Amino acid sequence: MNAEDKGTNYMPTSSAEETIQRLIFSLSELEQLGQTLISGHSNFNVSSKTYLRITLGTLQVTRGAILCYHPTDNYLTVAASAPDFDSTPIEIEPDEVTSFLECSHVEIATPPEELQSFINRNSDLINGSAMHRLWVPLKIHDEFLGILGLGEFLGREKLEEWEQELLTILAHQISIAIAYSQIVEGIQSEKFRLFMLAESAPQICQLLQPEDAAEQVLHQAVALLDANMGCLMLVHPEQQMLELLDAFPKSLISENGDHLQSISLKDINMPSPEAEDRTALNMLGSVVEEGRTNRCSAKKDDVFGGRNLMVGPIQGRDGDILGVLVVGDKEERGGRTLEFTEEDEMLLDSFAKQAGVAIENAHLHQEALEARELQSEMEEARKIQENLIPDTLPEIPGYEVAGYYVPRGPVGGDYFDCIELPNGGWGLSIADVSGKGMQAALLMATLRAGLLSEISSSKARTDSELIDMNDELIDMAMTLNSLLYVSGTEEKYATFFYSHLNPDTDILTSLNGGHNPPLIVRKDGNIQWLGQEIGGLPLGMFPNEMVPAIAEYQAEQTTLQSGDVVVYYTDGVTETVNIDDEFYDEERLEQDAIACADNDATLICNFIHNAVSDFQGDADQFDDLTLLVLRKK
Amino acid sequence: MANKFDIHIRAEQEYAVLETEGYLNDALGEQLSQKAQDLIEKGYNQLVINLAKTALINSIGISILIEIIEALDEREGTLNFCGLSATQERTFRMMAIAKYAGIFPDEKTAVADFQ
Repeated sequence: MNAEDKGTNYMPTSSAEETIQRLIFSLSELEQLGQTLISGHSNFNVSSKTYLRITLGTLQVTRGAILCYHPTDNYLTVAASAPDFDSTPIEIEPDEVTSFLECSHVEIATPPEELQSFINRNSDLINGSAMHRLWVPLKIHDEFLGILGLGEFLGREKLEEWEQELLTILAHQISIAIAYSQIVEGIQSEKFRLFMLAESAPQICQLLQPEDAAEQVLHQAVALLDANMGCLMLVHPEQQMLELLDAFPKSLISENGDHLQSISLKDINMPSPEAEDRTALNMLGSVVEEGRTNRCSAKKDDVFGGRNLMVGPIQGRDGDILGVLVVGDKEERGGRTLEFTEEDEMLLDSFAKQAGVAIENAHLHQEALEARELQSEMEEARKIQENLIPDTLPEIPGYEVAGYYVPRGPVGGDYFDCIELPNGGWGLSIADVSGKGMQAALLMATLRAGLLSEISSSKARTDSELIDMNDELIDMAMTLNSLLYVSGTEEKYATFFYSHLNPDTDILTSLNGGHNPPLIVRKDGNIQWLGQEIGGLPLGMFPNEMVPAIAEYQAEQTTLQSGDVVVYYTDGVTETVNIDDEFYDEERLEQDAIACADNDATLICNFIHNAVSDFQGDADQFDDLTLLVLRKK
Repeated sequence: MANKFDIHIRAEQEYAVLETEGYLNDALGEQLSQKAQDLIEKGYNQLVINLAKTALINSIGISILIEIIEALDEREGTLNFCGLSATQERTFRMMAIAKYAGIFPDEKTAVADFQ
């Protein structure tokens, strides 16, 4: 600046030297300001004190402050001040921002009318702080960035004109620094988010435990969206419910209690077009219904306590909505919360797609593991059952006996046996345990162990065999019933048919525990259904004390003649279905048994089995198929 | 919304260690920034930030860490990080934080770097 050019503003010599010295100092300070700007220190929070110090030193002002403007929520915060003072965020109206943009500076004593209200509202800031004389708007073009406020001018009432021009230059430098800081911060933030998004995909997709995947998905989403809370909920399609899988922080669960654990989708009304009417609940409903990300400022306190929310759908490969990812309270530097933006929405949408793959992968892996465990269990069960079904049957003097067993799948629920008894008799048993797999195999093992225990303690026959044997079988049935009842669950029971054969007297004493009545084909072709009139309850279905009230076990006796054939079977035989959905049924069994009754027991077994197979044709086998044939030679 | 967090400080003669615990977001970040600033004002220009107990960092947390690096750089100081997860380390390298601050596996090696 040339003083002579200024004409009337010519400075006296005594102050001219001082001015020159200050100008030289100012140039040096401006150079330092430039150095600060290009130093690579982008963060204005760090460099703002340097800018303020240089400004105050250059202008010889004792007090001052730099306020930064936050356009998202229209408020100012103190970036630097001398002396230090704390201030809560200062609200500023959009029209006041416009007024600041229209002026070069504001004298606090004589402010423009448009800013009078702002100054009145912030009288505490003006009177009690470092910026009570002059305010200079910090701006670049039409973008308002903040305010540089100045206090006392050292040794003078007002700034000289050249000082005011210097102030304008300094304010411009500060504005550039703020804008640069914001740009760099924005780039850093976006760079961070994009990297996180790219990084998170392979990371979460590698997690094989559903719980780990859920936690990682939730945590990544919260951090990615600068959120303060979040939760992951899965859709339970049958119950029309959203069930909470995980929440961040965990305290969210205790704060919201049962409201968050499960949310019924049935009760959710679709959101109205007016955003202010939206609640978190109907936003959840619309995301599940429409499958696209949504956001709202859920002012109504229904589930999440009135937070700013954004909800993204988690979709499986086939497009089904597996669940929703909720994030809330987007934070801003300084502790304020913001509403989520359209860019946030796109980011969550992208992330939720990856999350869907990760969660589905983890669940598929879990299912594969469970299937493998089940297969292993079935293999074990099959081994147990193989040991329970006899490979060969004993030879009974004067009789032929044969068995045939075809399981459905690797492990069935049928059982048969023929055991020599300590009293010289023979025990023939057939059973059908409910269910399949390990539980059925274990129940069958329990039944067989109980049966062997009962048989080994059976008494020697006496003359009054008829009464004794009936009672003995009923006692045995009650013992086995009690054993199975305490061993199994409610759904676990066994139908059971047991015959005691005395080969000396040819008396066959039988007891039926809810099983299909065996068929006797007499030598003369007559048919008799054994135990049809004495059907008791399946074993293990009810406790012993309830049995008498429902259906007591009974025993019956019949005498076998030469050529008589007894066919024991399970319901897998008579309920075999052909391709026309017809049952093989008792009638066909009767006819086929009559047709082959003159053969030995093994041939009879094979004949009936072949007949059932022929009847079944290409239809599926739905149940185990078991036959036990006893023939009096 | 309560996010359990804490900062533990161990100030030795030549250096200080700040250990964060919890989600490094605005709330924890501001505390960390303030405590780091206090240490810098007291003359500490060698700081270690141990993030072993911080699994999550958001973009505000990152910007605060950059701010601390710049504040220390103004005093020609040094900041070393330790206890980072593999993802955090990759993030720090990608964000160029690793260019201006050291990254070490643990406190011992981070402190040893000052000597």
